Amino acid sequence: MRGYAKRRLADLGVALLFLLPNITGFVVFTAGPVIFSLVVSFSNWNLQQTVPLRWVGFGNYLEMFQTEEFWLYFVNTGYLMLAMPISIAGSLVLAMLLSQKIRGTVVYRTLYYLPSFTSGVALLILWKALYNPEFGPVNAAIGWVLNDLHVNDLARLVLGHGIQPPEWLQSTRNLVGVQTEHVKFGAASWGIGAKDAIMFMGIWMGIGGGNMLLYLAGLSNIPQDLYDAAEVDGASRWQIFRNVTWPCLAPTTFFIVVMSFIGGLQGGFEQARVMTAGGPAGTTTTLAYYIYTRAFEQFQMGYASAVSWVLFAIIFTITLVNWRLGGKQVAE
Amino acid sequence: MKTIYAIALGVLIALSIIAHAIQPRRQMHGKLLLTWTSDDNPARREQIDLFNRLHPQYELRLDPGNVGMEKVIVQSLAGVGPELFDCYSHAQLTAFVKAGVAWDVSALYEKHGMKVEDIWSVVHPNFIYEGKPYGHPTNAATDAIWFNKKLFRENGVPYPQGDWTWEEFIETAKRLTKMGPDGRPEYFGYLSNRVEWYPMIRQFGGRLYTEDGTRCAMNSPECIRAIQLMQDLIYKYEVMPGPNQEAAMAAAGGWGSGVITLFGGGKGAMTHGGRWWLCLLRQYEDLDLGVTEMPHGPKKVFWGYGRATLVNRLSPYREQAFDFIRFEHERPYNELINHQADALAPVIRYCTGEKFLHDPEFPKEDYNQTWYDVMDFGEPIESSPFIDGREAQRIIDVQMDLVRTNAKSAAEACRDIAKKIDREIMKRLEEEPALRMRWERLTGKRAAA
Repeated sequence: MRGYAKRRLADLGVALLFLLPNITGFVVFTAGPVIFSLVVSFSNWNLQQTVPLRWVGFGNYLEMFQTEEFWLYFVNTGYLMLAMPISIAGSLVLAMLLSQKIRGTVVYRTLYYLPSFTSGVALLILWKALYNPEFGPVNAAIGWVLNDLHVNDLARLVLGHGIQPPEWLQSTRNLVGVQTEHVKFGAASWGIGAKDAIMFMGIWMGIGGGNMLLYLAGLSNIPQDLYDAAEVDGASRWQIFRNVTWPCLAPTTFFIVVMSFIGGLQGGFEQARVMTAGGPAGTTTTLAYYIYTRAFEQFQMGYASAVSWVLFAIIFTITLVNWRLGGKQVAE
Repeated sequence: MKTIYAIALGVLIALSIIAHAIQPRRQMHGKLLLTWTSDDNPARREQIDLFNRLHPQYELRLDPGNVGMEKVIVQSLAGVGPELFDCYSHAQLTAFVKAGVAWDVSALYEKHGMKVEDIWSVVHPNFIYEGKPYGHPTNAATDAIWFNKKLFRENGVPYPQGDWTWEEFIETAKRLTKMGPDGRPEYFGYLSNRVEWYPMIRQFGGRLYTEDGTRCAMNSPECIRAIQLMQDLIYKYEVMPGPNQEAAMAAAGGWGSGVITLFGGGKGAMTHGGRWWLCLLRQYEDLDLGVTEMPHGPKKVFWGYGRATLVNRLSPYREQAFDFIRFEHERPYNELINHQADALAPVIRYCTGEKFLHDPEFPKEDYNQTWYDVMDFGEPIESSPFIDGREAQRIIDVQMDLVRTNAKSAAEACRDIAKKIDREIMKRLEEEPALRMRWERLTGKRAAA
């Protein structure tokens, strides 16, 4: 018995030695910085030697909740997530189309997955050019519809004025009418602007990406017997989708929803960095970009850490709620 | 199992030894390796080559991959920063100094007989902090109007002679905008990717901060008038590009290069920019160029700026790095800058004389005297010791975005800028007791958040 225990102990030692490089990396590069950022969030650390380092308790958190800026950027983050259901539904439709036994499916799948393995920055630059209000193809197409198809003539007749193509990334307006400087709604802010431009682009990027692949995998796992039985019972295509495909895809959908929430709350950084610098007037600044600017442009490490931890708490809470509610339904 | 572990460990140790052995050495072939974090352009390479030729004891290398204040500060504090790095504004200099990364070189200036008075004053704020130099400018510039002589001739408009008001400018720009048969402009009278708000407020007698820097002064009638004119130039007179046109122009390249390319291609009769534009405009051989000063308001103030090289206080080779600073103060470097047209040489005395005015290699460039003359009116953006310049800039940018998109009136934007900056100043005073005392001494009031 003692020999067995000794051997187990020796094996454990060997196992730990093997794990050591990974554990060291995790502690130094992940766990350490995470704990460090928590500590920093209670301080006024801002990399400046002229400002004495102080413990400020919940000061950064209080300041954050009292600053309208934080709430504006929180709203911006949420706004960009409004497209999530469209994006997920689009992925499902696309996956169902691509799971059909048609010639060249592999080519179609590759083409639709293209946005996911193309450099993100290259895509963003491309979209920025597409959205160019003067020379971009998007407004050229809208202009063609408005002028060559005489939609504008009709609008002048009905509305008394013509319709201008959107200014996209240069406009502070948005479809919901969120004001630029206050968390309020107003008719003057209504229109199509930078927030919407980024949201539409997000739908395009999201539909053909990883979600589509997950749905494809989910669809291939549904037993053919279920479809055969439904057809024998005389079920329509909609009934088959409603009662076979959709319930069988519930775990996949649940996973995608959870991951989309997490990704959405952490999102918007690349778009802001490459396309808009968070503007115009902060309309495309999300919490992730806000953390970056506060930490690495203004060096307010303590404040930025506090925002990071609040973002973590939001993500954690939403994931937990999703898990509790969604998980239960999936199990049923 | 133990054997596998032993082999894995052995391989890791061997790899570590190899990595250690092949890591870049500071001394290479008897030369000390120095690193300069700066943008990668052909002009920079030529400047480095000249330094390396004149200082064979060093091998100065460019590190364009780590450009950016945040990278420089974080890397320097971690002990792996460059010896030399660039600084573009007083706000950046303040951050470098307060982070303890920039090195006060005033003693070395004195030792080597270097005087800051010899350097263009527009670029002083980028390397002098509270009276002490922390490096040396790489160049200096004040913006002026570039004009396309051919388009002026074609439209029968006389060349501008300088000393003109905004009203005169607007009239000229209107006469030089030519519409094509499709109703779209063939070329614009004026092409610009942005109107600088700062010289405009100064031209109308406004200021960003009060003279002692204790308060933001953007809510003054003078500032409001200037910002209103800026908005009117876009929406009322339609001679300045709005955000859409700015975006359209910027899409052709990086910052500024879109406009330079369009101007070079004859899409604009006038534009505003610095002498450094020649680095690109020289490629357009058929372009017949002229230069005149910017239009002005009641006062003549233009935008002055420049770039500076700072020395890393935390580098063990900072003394050696100062040799590059000395190099930037000497004739060979300054003459190279003038020849390259990378704006103007930083030292004033090298921007005079026949060699500067008429470079034999570029005989068509007969306007260098104008570049010299406008330097007298160049003014860098004001700063206040009581607020982080980057924070102030962020506040201003948001409000200017709203003005440019016509989403807010100039008066409202100016009032909000002042209110928000003053609030930030108060917040800053709470953080820094020394600053608070200074503010209270200057204002005779108690600082209250």
